[in-house]
Amino acid sequence: MKWWHRLFRRRQHEEQLEKELRHHLDLHTSDLIDQGCSPEEARRRAHLALGGPEQVKEMCRDARGTRWVEELLQDLRIGVRMLRKNPSFTLVVAATLALGIGANTAIFGLVDALLLRPLPIVKAPSQLVLLVRGDGRGSTLSYPDFKDLRERNEVLSDLALFTQAPISFGNNVRSEVVLGAMVSGNYFDVLGIKPSLGRTFLPEEDRTPGTHPVVVLNHSFWQSRFNSDRTLVGQTIVLNNQRFTVIGIVPAGFDGESPPMKVSLWIPVMMTSAMRWEPGEARQDPLSNRQNENFGAIGRLKQDVSIVQAQTALETINRQLEEANPPPTERRINPNDDRSLRLLSPQGMMIGPLREMAVTSSRLAGATVLTVLLIACANVANLLMVRAIRRRKEVAVRLALGATRGRLIRQLLTESVLLALVGATAGLFLAYWINQLLMAFKPPFPPPFTFALDLSFDIRTFAFTYLLAIATGVIFGLVPALQASRPDVLPALKDESNAEGPRVRWLNLRNALVVTQVALSLALLISTGLFLRTLRYAQQIDLGFKPDHVLQVSFNLRLQRYNEAQGREFYQRIVERIERLPGVQTASVTNLLPLGFIWQSTPVVPEDREVPPNERVFAGSVSVGSQYFETIGTPLLRGRGFTVQDTIKSPQVAIVSEKLARHLWPKIKEPGEALGKRLRVGRSDLVSCEVIGVAKDARNNIFNRIDKEPEPTIYRPFAQNYSALASLIVRTDGDPRGLSSAVRREVAALDENLPPQNLQPLSETVSLASWSARTGAAVLGVFGLLGLVLAAIGIYGVMSYSVSRRTREIGLRMALGAETRDVIKLILKQGLGLTLIGTIIGVMLAVAVTRLLTSLLYGVTATDPATFAGVVLFVIGVAVLACYLPARRATKVDPMVALRCE
Amino acid sequence: MKPKSDLPQGTLDLLILKVVALGPIHGYAVAQRLEQVSRGVVQVPQGSLYPALHRLENRGLLKADWKLTETGREAKFYRVTRKGQAQLETEAAGWQRLTQAVSLILKMSEGGAG
Repeated sequence: MKWWHRLFRRRQHEEQLEKELRHHLDLHTSDLIDQGCSPEEARRRAHLALGGPEQVKEMCRDARGTRWVEELLQDLRIGVRMLRKNPSFTLVVAATLALGIGANTAIFGLVDALLLRPLPIVKAPSQLVLLVRGDGRGSTLSYPDFKDLRERNEVLSDLALFTQAPISFGNNVRSEVVLGAMVSGNYFDVLGIKPSLGRTFLPEEDRTPGTHPVVVLNHSFWQSRFNSDRTLVGQTIVLNNQRFTVIGIVPAGFDGESPPMKVSLWIPVMMTSAMRWEPGEARQDPLSNRQNENFGAIGRLKQDVSIVQAQTALETINRQLEEANPPPTERRINPNDDRSLRLLSPQGMMIGPLREMAVTSSRLAGATVLTVLLIACANVANLLMVRAIRRRKEVAVRLALGATRGRLIRQLLTESVLLALVGATAGLFLAYWINQLLMAFKPPFPPPFTFALDLSFDIRTFAFTYLLAIATGVIFGLVPALQASRPDVLPALKDESNAEGPRVRWLNLRNALVVTQVALSLALLISTGLFLRTLRYAQQIDLGFKPDHVLQVSFNLRLQRYNEAQGREFYQRIVERIERLPGVQTASVTNLLPLGFIWQSTPVVPEDREVPPNERVFAGSVSVGSQYFETIGTPLLRGRGFTVQDTIKSPQVAIVSEKLARHLWPKIKEPGEALGKRLRVGRSDLVSCEVIGVAKDARNNIFNRIDKEPEPTIYRPFAQNYSALASLIVRTDGDPRGLSSAVRREVAALDENLPPQNLQPLSETVSLASWSARTGAAVLGVFGLLGLVLAAIGIYGVMSYSVSRRTREIGLRMALGAETRDVIKLILKQGLGLTLIGTIIGVMLAVAVTRLLTSLLYGVTATDPATFAGVVLFVIGVAVLACYLPARRATKVDPMVALRCE
Repeated sequence: MKPKSDLPQGTLDLLILKVVALGPIHGYAVAQRLEQVSRGVVQVPQGSLYPALHRLENRGLLKADWKLTETGREAKFYRVTRKGQAQLETEAAGWQRLTQAVSLILKMSEGGAG
């Protein structure tokens, strides 16, 4: 029988114990009667021989080994009774802890969703591994790589391939671009996903290019776009202007292998070339080209193969592949690029740079909320100590009655853990609310890249919250419990509640807690301040273009199967139509939006000198229409912008940024001197152009930090460097939003089936660049202020308490002629002393902590004196206020009352 | 009346195991048997008998069932488990070795004196 059985059969055991002892006594009594005793005498002697029945029972209970649980239940009962007896105390403590624990739960929920949670729906997610070459920025394998890795390895039970692409879905009324994935036929088998309707891919659908237009749909996509129509399976839908047969629906909750990106539909990778309609180098078959490293792979480990073993085995194959097929030099930006293969567990979001960002911010947020919790703990510990003073008599009685100190500490700890659990439960609700708020800060990815993060609480969140609560309860309860269980029994029993001895010691401890609180909230607020400065800097930074009053709208004509001639015509006509709209100043076309989500760079070499391959300059490659520079607001330093005269037939021309001019021709004094020089641009078929203009530098690359030097950029006429994927930019007189519907109408007038994408002010796109600073400032700001409020309450509490202890002294002083001013000064001095010590420690702490923030800050150093000084003054101000209120109350004391108060 | 000696620490469990090993037995009978067998030399405090029985039961050395006695009353009968039997053998052997060693030493000191 296990102890918990015994625990639950406690009543039965008690009865049996009683029965057993009675049986013993009865037998003994009757034996004694047989020996000639009188019945009363016999019973007396039997009882005497056995000893007190209650003591024996107690010892038997001890022997049963369930004692601690029984005591725990007892402690809980007492705890609940104590909490109900002091509802206001319980409320204050629970609310404080709810703030501290709730903040931690919220951040844990976020971290869980971003980094820890395994892929939902899939079978045995711990066996799944993602294969990533290099630093994991995006997809990194080619189809031939995938085939070789799949066939040659002996560590994976199978390997599947995937790549994501925007796909134009539907026609006429509901044209839109959604995120689709092209996957190998075994994709769902590797993940172990059974369709909830229909089937997944067949082997023959994975063999021949272009022959099987079939599609599997995401459950929520099916729900929202087809109203969960069960007859859809077997019917066709239109993707990229081609008919695809719907063969199955995946179970709800599966959004692909790369959350938080949500894939709406899956088609066989064999349909890739049929889906695409690309000019230039990509026109080659994307599946046979080893340079087309656009794929990711996910495999399932064989039983008993560890991820480390698998990585070693797969890296060996990868190295053989690299040696057998070295990438052509012009494909490689840096010959020293890391091209080793790594295996990652698909947990949380996997997209390399985003994950890094998430890891950094999670650490930061985690440290922040933990600090808030510490401050909250300090507050509660303070309150508990005040209460412990009131309970000295109760504790002394218990000690006098023979309770051991350990037992007493356990009982006090049970109470504090109970408080923490109550707080944690309230904190869960708070966390839900905080998470709703946090979602408002999700990165503004342009569609079809939706950032879908599931922040609903799961069992892990609950486990985390309640474990944290128990730990919290022990942390804030331990010191008060240790203190409270050690009173000198005699004075306490005699109700000398103002005995001098313990008071001094406790007050010192309380003071230490206040100092800690001030220090911690100061460090938090300084971090907040630095983020706010970063944010201000980000807003003041000269981007080199003017995003205000600009409307953007993007198109992917490739998806709509426009050929180059049709595409050129479309862009030319739409610009003309929009320019004629009222309220429009200028309009132009560009393949890349500044600080947009897509970026391209290309090698550029000067014609008048040799450049060794490893010193080759890579420049952002932007194709723009006429009037681009006026529209985007980037000034031209020399030369002219592109005009309608720059056509596909006219001489090839280019405009370089200042930075590019200096990189290509280091000897020139002024960037403008680049005018008239010639350069070659491109990877394989180099184009020779004449520089006809020099533009001011623009911070246009989202993947480059906004505070770093602008990237060199080359602009070429859209007519001479066509891109099917392009955006219109429209400079307006007023709010660009006002023109949205007019622009939509003009697009529909040209092609009603063409979905306009990301129709929004350019400033929204640009805001993605400062997202991390904004989020950091907001999150830290909220929690920093929360910490400060808690610290202020702590200071206030300690000062109030200290004033109430000194009522008599203050009354005496005032009776002897002290002025109100003197009394206030006296109290303030004590409070400010504590604050100052806390401030000094806090500043040192902040210096240590903010150094870790350096990578997230710009435009401000981690030890920015203005921020430090400002926050210190602010904290001292709050502390003065927290001291002043009790001090003023002290002066209102009637000396007569004060003197009589003991 | 001879003065009764107290039990050395830890031997009560051993004695109880031994008594129970002779056959299923209830608590009062254990006390009686101990007193009879030791001819009144060993004082078994009845108060510590039951905690000891419960402790042994808790450790899985004894098992208890409620059965009817010959007088028709329900009583808790203890018996030794296999684990208890093994424990009894090891402890008994250990006790033998210890007493032999102790008496050897005691005899030696007598020889030394004579």
